[in-house]
Amino acid sequence: MKRYLLLQIVILIVLFSTDFSQAGYRETFEKEFMLSPWSIAKGETSACIQCHTSDDMGPEMHEITRQWKDSWHAKNNISCHDCHGGAPEDASMSMMHQRGFKGSPQDSDIPEFCGSCHIAILDNYLKSGHGKTFCDAAEGPSCVTCHGSHNIQQANMDIINEQLCSQCHTYERAKEMKQALFIVENKLSSVEESLAHLQMLGINVDDQEKSFFRTHLEFRALFHSIDVEAVRVKSSDYTQKLEIIESKIDDSFNKLAYRRNFSAYLFLLFIGLSIVVFLLSKSYEQK
Amino acid sequence: MWGKIKHWVEVRLGLEELINRHLRSYKTPKGANFLNTLGFVALIAFIVQVITGIMLLLYYLPHPDHAFQSVQTITNDIPYGWLFRLIHNIGSNIIIGVIIIHLIHVFLRVSYKRPREVTWISGCIMFFLVLLTSITGQLLPWHQTGFWQTTVTSTIPAFLPVIGEGISSYMRGGEFVTGITLSRYFSFHVVILPVIISVLIGLHVLLIRRQGISTSPSLEPESSKTSSTEFKRENHPEGRPCFPHFSLKRLFMVMIYFAIVFFILTFMPNLFLPPETNIPANPLMTPESIRPAWYFLAPYQLIKIIPNDIMGISLVVIFSAILLLWPFFDAKEGERNILKRPILLSAALIALTLWGIFTVWGMY
Repeated sequence: MKRYLLLQIVILIVLFSTDFSQAGYRETFEKEFMLSPWSIAKGETSACIQCHTSDDMGPEMHEITRQWKDSWHAKNNISCHDCHGGAPEDASMSMMHQRGFKGSPQDSDIPEFCGSCHIAILDNYLKSGHGKTFCDAAEGPSCVTCHGSHNIQQANMDIINEQLCSQCHTYERAKEMKQALFIVENKLSSVEESLAHLQMLGINVDDQEKSFFRTHLEFRALFHSIDVEAVRVKSSDYTQKLEIIESKIDDSFNKLAYRRNFSAYLFLLFIGLSIVVFLLSKSYEQK
Repeated sequence: MWGKIKHWVEVRLGLEELINRHLRSYKTPKGANFLNTLGFVALIAFIVQVITGIMLLLYYLPHPDHAFQSVQTITNDIPYGWLFRLIHNIGSNIIIGVIIIHLIHVFLRVSYKRPREVTWISGCIMFFLVLLTSITGQLLPWHQTGFWQTTVTSTIPAFLPVIGEGISSYMRGGEFVTGITLSRYFSFHVVILPVIISVLIGLHVLLIRRQGISTSPSLEPESSKTSSTEFKRENHPEGRPCFPHFSLKRLFMVMIYFAIVFFILTFMPNLFLPPETNIPANPLMTPESIRPAWYFLAPYQLIKIIPNDIMGISLVVIFSAILLLWPFFDAKEGERNILKRPILLSAALIALTLWGIFTVWGMY
């Protein structure tokens, strides 16, 4: 009885000695502890995001950060300074030109701005009707016209649509291009899906991913020439390249099937052994 | 020829005598059933972890730049490396399940009472050490899940007053989870903890050999009462020889253990390997949700819902201490049949239900 009493006293002391006033603890725990990148040094937290999400900024500035967080760039760790330059680790110097800050580009500078990373696409774009119109007449579609800016998403065939294209010209030509892209784009999607599935199952697909990335990039660069004939002619080359990747993917799925069959065999073996041992055990019990 | 070989071995090793003395003449109590074999199953599960762990150790590189890739190589390139890795991964979860059921069984049979207090304590310490081994093992593949789980688990002790910060800092080897943490966890996972657990297994088995398997209070009431200064081993006159009767029960349960491992391996190979485990650790990218392994969900949820950091962690520590020292809280000589002790039975059932609720709650 004394022991139970002692136990209760200990629990009561702990309960009463604790501070219940920290009602926001759960929120703090979830926001600051569960969701913040603990392992990076505090100084490395982006000054751009801190400032653009502060109360001093208007809602349009908050919107920029929100859009970026949902973007394909954010998913691939492309941060503000990767495009706009500057020093995100140092709030006081973050927007100094001496630290490489470029700010927002003028409309005419947009292709060069995006092309600093998307080099092959820039080349094809500048040679295309889109690029020539843009450079010659200082108007026409630039990167952001089709892809948007801070809310940029992974490019896909849906970007080519009547609503967007018919802002500048009739949809007919764009429709022809979409048809020419169809087979390769479909294959690209199915290969990408299979690679993601294999990766989720723990299969190392680094080589296939590199090969896929190269093919994908080349094909997307080719598309930016908006030359329907060139796309049609080269489609079979890309299909062939993708088929090689697909055959490797099939090998990986076969490997997975072998693993499943092998472990199923072991499972049945042990089930069989357990039945034998159980019957043996029962027969000894009856003796 | 066979007879000669058998005789040669017998003269030198005396296996027959060993089996006779330790297995055939060693009697197990009348009510000993399949649940009594769970300790043995846990031992086999531990041996499986050691063997598969050694196989993984042959190719694993404990360095942040190479750890993830080395595990990928083991899984994809080394012949049957996937088998050893998955058995190690699935086995690490099943061993904890087996120990938990074993603990509950021993508790419900009130087998922790005199003279088995030390056996219970050594078992509980082993349980905590196995959990610690599991925590340290999570980081080794250096994937997103392990990295962020370690970040969470190594921060939780910091809530403890006075010593908390020191424990956290010692676990990480600094302020953040880095390569130092990896090499520290590696040493604990592959050497320090397994050695301590092995020593404790030795002690646990020795104590069971001395005291015998605890009787079922409903089937075979303890025959004689001895004073607290004496020890008298139960003879179990109505019991069965350990070999082959009880040994076959043990063997059956071991087969079931392997069948469960291979069932999961066949039909749910990624049950304990969420998609993030295939992404290398990235300190700059926090996963959307970080949840601990299923066996930590209950304490995790408890800490989460209690609006005070010190109180949350203190409750977990207190519950663990109560579990560890329970034989001393229930040391009074008396009824061992839990069905005749409604308060203890309801307390145990409430604790188990709460544990279940918190575990399920922690998943969402």
